Amino acid sequence: MLTQVETKSKIKDYIINATLSDNKTISDDTLIFETGLLDSMGLLFLIEFLKEEFNVVVNDDELLPENFESVNSIIKFIEGKL
Amino acid sequence: MKPFSKDILHLENIDEVCNNIITKLKSDVAQKLQRRGAVIGISGGIDSSVCMALSAKAFGPEKVTAIMLPEQDSSDDSKNLALKLANKFNVKTLEENITKALDGFGCYERRDEAIAKVITDFDPKVDKAKIEIKQNIGQNIPAIFSVTVIKPNGEVVSKLLPAKEYLQIVASTNFKQRSRMSMLYYHAERLHCAVIGTPNKHEVEQGFFVKYGDGGADVMPIGHLYKTQVYQLAKHLGVPQEIIDRTPTTDTYTAEQTQEDFFYQMPFKEMDLIWYGWENNYKAEEVGKVMDKSAQEIENIYKSFERKKKTTEYLRMKPIF
Repeated sequence: MLTQVETKSKIKDYIINATLSDNKTISDDTLIFETGLLDSMGLLFLIEFLKEEFNVVVNDDELLPENFESVNSIIKFIEGKL
Repeated sequence: MKPFSKDILHLENIDEVCNNIITKLKSDVAQKLQRRGAVIGISGGIDSSVCMALSAKAFGPEKVTAIMLPEQDSSDDSKNLALKLANKFNVKTLEENITKALDGFGCYERRDEAIAKVITDFDPKVDKAKIEIKQNIGQNIPAIFSVTVIKPNGEVVSKLLPAKEYLQIVASTNFKQRSRMSMLYYHAERLHCAVIGTPNKHEVEQGFFVKYGDGGADVMPIGHLYKTQVYQLAKHLGVPQEIIDRTPTTDTYTAEQTQEDFFYQMPFKEMDLIWYGWENNYKAEEVGKVMDKSAQEIENIYKSFERKKKTTEYLRMKPIF
């Protein structure tokens, strides 16, 4: 099983790769939708990544800002599902 | 800046507004585009009805050709209302059923294949399907589509759409709008006319149109008008009441689907006003007081508008040289 640090790093790497961003601009608390890093297609691809990488399936009632708005919230959401 | 109110978008001088659109339409088509009339697709919806009425007034009904473009998933109401409209304004109609063209493109097969990957017991022969946004617009997260299948016994199954299937469903259903555009241009070229596009301000600015589909036209006479203003014009121009009273639908999927469910996530009356507030920099507190919402709710809706406009910029972009 991955440690929290490893999970965090995978998610951050994914966002950096998907958005072609500089890793210095994304912190664990960066609001990824508010800052325009991910749009609706970006969120859809992120959901797909979570399924492929961590086998986490997202239901429509879980599409809430508190589950996806930053790297930290995604980690918390994944940990709750595992 | 005028204080924000529920009447802020009401057109006081509706006659003048209509005359200005008619004058511009005439000069755009005759002088700029050098065409001798108009071809317009009519669906029995409010936007195409208003555009057809404006065209009939601008060019004279004899210089307007209204084309009905049904396919196997269109509702019968669409055709009946479209005919009623054309009769009222003495505009000649043509019917071009595009089902065979869509079959040739594999539109239905590709769409149904993607739906069946998500809802495995989907049977396109008997089940009805649509895609919709289930989140509330006030949530500070981008909208994601779900697919909903309605079984003959009324059972409803709904699942979040994965990226690949979502994109395939959208890409295949977009054949509908693009085939309609091709047919409209066939007739426009044959008759040396301009194609009149029917999107309103929301469709243009929020990206609720198909690039090179219903977004493919020569002029868009109501592209600057809010939906409630389009309704005002419809009444003024004498569009049949059944068209005015009809709930706007997409008429694209087999299951009934309002434009609100599919895309806008809120009623037109509210959306018009909040969009106006957003684009004219009204403070969320001021708009919230009038709309009976908290400042935070309005802020979240403003953010959602901003996201929609940004996400759909690609649709409005011309080819880059």
